[in-house]
Formats: sequence, structure tokens, C-alpha cells
Amino acid sequence: MQHLYRLIHANPRFHELERKRSRLSWTLASIVMANIVWYIIATAFFPKNAETTGLLADIARFWGQPVADGAATTWGIYIGLVQVVGFIGLVVFYINKANGELDALKDAVIADAMRAAGDQK
Amino acid sequence: MNHRAPLAWLLGLSLLAWAGSAAADVATALHNMFTLPADTSAINSKAVAMFIGFVLVSLGITFWAAKRTKSTADFYTAGGKIGGFQNGLAICGDWCSSAALMGVAALIYSNGFDGLIYSVVPFGAWPLMMFLLADRLRNLGKYTLADIVSLRMARVPVRTLVSSASLAFVIGYLIVQMVGAGTLISNLFGLHYEMAQVIIGALIVVYVAFGGMIATTYVQLIKAVLLLSGASFIVFLVLQKFGFSMNGLYQAAVDNSPLKTGVMQPGTLLPDPVNAISCGVMLIFGGAAMPHVLMRFFTVPDAKEARRSVAWAASLIGYFYLLTFFIGYGAIAFVMKNPEFLDAKGAIIGGPNMAAIHLAKAMGGDLLLGFISAVAFATIVAVVAGLTIAGASAISHDIYANMLRHGQATDAEVVKVSRIAALGLGVLGIVLGIAFKGQNIAYLIVLPFTISSTVFFPVLFLSMYWRRLTTTGMVTGGWIGLASAIVMLVVGPTIWKDIMGNPEALFPYKYPALFSMSIAFVTMIVVSLLDKSDRAKAELASFDDQFVRSQTGLGAEGAAQH
Repeated sequence: MQHLYRLIHANPRFHELERKRSRLSWTLASIVMANIVWYIIATAFFPKNAETTGLLADIARFWGQPVADGAATTWGIYIGLVQVVGFIGLVVFYINKANGELDALKDAVIADAMRAAGDQK
Repeated sequence: MNHRAPLAWLLGLSLLAWAGSAAADVATALHNMFTLPADTSAINSKAVAMFIGFVLVSLGITFWAAKRTKSTADFYTAGGKIGGFQNGLAICGDWCSSAALMGVAALIYSNGFDGLIYSVVPFGAWPLMMFLLADRLRNLGKYTLADIVSLRMARVPVRTLVSSASLAFVIGYLIVQMVGAGTLISNLFGLHYEMAQVIIGALIVVYVAFGGMIATTYVQLIKAVLLLSGASFIVFLVLQKFGFSMNGLYQAAVDNSPLKTGVMQPGTLLPDPVNAISCGVMLIFGGAAMPHVLMRFFTVPDAKEARRSVAWAASLIGYFYLLTFFIGYGAIAFVMKNPEFLDAKGAIIGGPNMAAIHLAKAMGGDLLLGFISAVAFATIVAVVAGLTIAGASAISHDIYANMLRHGQATDAEVVKVSRIAALGLGVLGIVLGIAFKGQNIAYLIVLPFTISSTVFFPVLFLSMYWRRLTTTGMVTGGWIGLASAIVMLVVGPTIWKDIMGNPEALFPYKYPALFSMSIAFVTMIVVSLLDKSDRAKAELASFDDQFVRSQTGLGAEGAAQH
């Protein structure tokens, strides 16, 4: 097995796979983390009185604003709902990429290594 | 007296707290374990009948599963043969404890919008698990988290750390569930608290000891279906009252709540920014590394199915969390001003935790109340079963097979030890459940999440992503992180001040995860970089092989059966 690992590690297509996968994973993970940070800022820095100013307070204040004049629903509710639905969307996007394109590349890399191992024998 | 139990627990001496209470209490407890209350008219027969239905079905499945549970692989991972969709449902069953249904509703009922932080932020753990952990976990794992970590690290020190932390996690979570179940069942079913402990403990032992992971999976699967359909039905009825206008519901909540428009705004729950950030860190990173959930990634054949199960799990759990946006506010609209659910002082009967249950009654009468009560009971049983199998595998696979017998034990011996461990955990659950009766156990929820974010997340993340991590670094950082988390919890406001009655907490924050996780990460990195031993060099050299396996699944357990 170790022999196969070495062969794969020497294959440039393996590093292409790894680069593609990590670019996809980290981009999507950053989107999620940014949303979570946004959510936590809203909870942590929501101004206790109207006079508080500052960037974080302004970001947080938006969450408590009604979506329309006289509406009870606040932006925070919509943002929360969209975040949950959006996270599901990102997961579905990832699985399509990973089970399709990336897995095909992975199978090709393994096949390369098997062939190379066969040639050496 | 009040401060004794949590301390004793933290020292692993909670048995003393129980034995130390008067002998008469023990006699009453024993009596209550096995007898019905004198006033049987309080028993909710519809709820009991539906719960008995669930028990009969699940026992039938256990009987069927027991015949299929022969090897250790069957016991821990159902032979790696569960399909993606079933596994996704089972993960949803593992994840959505009664806290997700009743706890979030209770927080929204009391604090409004901020209660949703317990829905959205932990849900963020799911995409993170998918993008960063799922493939690699499946490709590297076998039965437990310790298997992944010990692939290129020294077996004994790593397993000692991970299995100890797993047991602390399991026992902490177990107490929360058992005490919650006892209170719930005495309220809902009209049975004795102690009897509820015995019923749950006995069911868990039967499921896990005989049916292993196969039975546990199906119990969770059924529970997930019941929970999702019950919660959906409540939300449907709530929205129907407002002609399916979301704003109508929220307007009613604003009108009823003493917080007025504040009920729709953040900023009421957490006392200051540091606590809020630390709580968020705990929920997202702790949620992403819980052993009883991650263990389910090993029950599928390969990384592709692991991704499918995470996608299903994330969709179902996300759907459930969407429902929490309506259940808590529904309770404000229909329970808060309804005299049927309020005591003489105008407070909600049974405390805010009952908000979701009362809402079920307000919406669908006794029948829906009975159904939701049975679902809540089934939910607790299923979560405790998942925890028990995670604990039993830490004991039998990590401690017994790998550390005590150095991998020389036979399959039959290990399965036997697993069954004994499940029995032991069941009994321990009953004893601790009774010992902690009537205690405020909310703080105990913080413990497993803090352990998870402080030990499991850094250990897993660095071992898979960082070449330079060494055994010494990981183990030093893990133990120091764990110790700092426990110390900060004990001297923090909840235990030191509120429970032990000291005037001022030594550590000012309720949620230590931000600090303890940083301590663990920094220690692991610094110690690893300073580690120039030969073992460290060998570990560094073996990273590439592990990396190829984690990316390709070549050589993964149970993957290539041809």
C-alpha cells in the first residue's frame, strides 16, 4: 500500500486534485464562517440603547430593524432563515462537485498508480 | 449540600453524593423506581400508549438486529453497510436532542430572537464538517475518533487522551439527557422520576448491548421521522391560525411578550460580547467534532456515501432548525397568555422547557400532546443510545482492545466487553440521573460542547491538516486544554458563584471555549514545533502517506471489499 501512496504522491494529477478540492472546501468554509461571524456580531454587539454608534453596533442594529414600516418581522429573522437554507445549498453544491468532477479525478489518479505499479512488476 | 454534586461529578465521585444522601432517600428512590404513583389518574394514557408503541417497534428491530451483530465491525459501525439516506436520517436523530426541540423553544419563549443562536450557529457546523472533515474522516477512520488520530501518532498516549475526553463528553451529555428525561416524564406521563430513569436505562442497555450500531441506527431513524413530522405538524397548525402569514405570527408574539419588539431583536440572552463570541465558538467547533455524531461517518461504505449522508443530515437538520423559527414564537403567541398553561403567579407550568409541549396541546389537544410527549421521550432514548454506543466503543475498542490488550484481543472478546460497557453505562446513567435529580443541570450542557471544541476539534483538525503535529504536541495541548476548560468552568460564574454560593467568580465568563480552545491549539502547535525527537521525525515522514489515503480513500477501512 505504501508503494501505491508514494506513486500517487509523485503524480502531478494528485496535486491538481488536492488543489481543486482544497480551493473548493476553503472557499465554501469561508462563506459559512463569515455568516457565523456576522450572526455572532449581531448577538454580541446589538446596541442596548439608540445612541450607541460604531461599526459593530451598526451591523448589529440592522438585524433588529423591521423589514417594512409597521411590520413585526425583523431583518434578523429573514437573515437567519436564508442562512439556514443557504448552508443547505452550499452543502448540495459541494456534494455535486465532490461526487462528480473530483471523484472522477480521484479514480483517474488511483488508476494511474495501479498501472504504474503493474508496469514495475 | 447544593454545591456538592457538581464538584463531586467533576472529580468522578458522584456516587458518593448519592450514597451520602440519607438512607431513607435511597429507599424512596428504590421504591419509586419500580412502582406507579399512588394517583394513577395523572398518567397520560395516550402518551404512554404511543410511547409503548415506539418501544415495541424498537425492541422488534433490536431482536432482528441482534442476529446480525456478530463481529466488532457489526457492533460499532453496522458493518459499514448503512446507506447514505438512512445514515443521514440517523445522524439527524443523533443530533437533534430534546434540547433542539424544547430547549430552543424555551430560550425563544424567554429571550426572543437570541434563542435562535442555538439553531443557526450549531447548524453552521454541518457545512464545515462537510467541507473540511467528512471525506478525510471516512477515509482515515475505523470505529472511533482515536483510530484516526493514532494512525501516525503513538497509540497509547493518544488513545488515553481521546478516550478519556470521549468518556467525559459522553457522561456529561448523558446526565443532561437523563435528568431532562426524568423531569419531562414525571411532568408528561405522570410517572415517577426514578421510574423514568429505569425505563430509559433499561431500553438503552437492550438496544446497545444486543443490537449494537444496527439497532441504534434504526431507533434513531424512527425517532428522526417522528420528530420531524411532529414538529412540522405543530408549525403547520400555528401558521394556519394566521392564514400562513409569518408576520401575523411574529406580530402576535410582539403583542404577547413582555419584551415587546425586543422579542424580534438580538442582544438579550448573552451578557457581553466575550461571552457571546465564546458561546458561538463553542457551538460551532464543538458541534463539528462530537464523537457520537462523527462515529456515524464510519457506518457507510466509502467517502462518497459519507458525503451523501452528511448532505441528507444537513438538509433534514436544517429543515428542523427552520421549524424552530416558528415553534418558539408560536409558544409566545398561544401559551404565554393562555391561563390553561399558567400557574397562580402567571408563570408557565413546568418552566419554559415545557413551552413546546404546551404549544402542542394548545394546537392539537390531548392527542397531539400525547404524540409530542412520546416523541420527546423517544428523542431522549435515541440520543442516549447514540451516546452509549460511543462510550462503549471508547471503553472496549480504545481502552480494552488497543491499550490493555495491545490489539491482541479476539473479536468475540471485544464484543463481549462492549456489551458489558453498555450495561455499565446504562446503570451509571440511572445512578447519575437519580443523583442529579432536582439539580440545575443547564451548566452541564456547556461541558460536553466545551470538551468537544477544546479537545476533539483541535486534535482532529491538526492531525489531518498539519504535517508538523507530533504526539507530544497533541497530547500536551489536549490535556492542558481539557484541564483549563474544566478549571474555568468550575471557577466560572455558573458553578463557583451560582451553585457554590461564592460572592464573586474567579473566572468572569460562563463560556470558556474561546479561551480553552485557543490554549489547546497554541500549546499543540508550539510543543510540536519544539519537538525534535526521533518519534516526531517519523511522524512527520508518515504524513504524506496518511495524506494520500485521506484524499483518495485507498486503504480505507471496509472500503475495498473486492
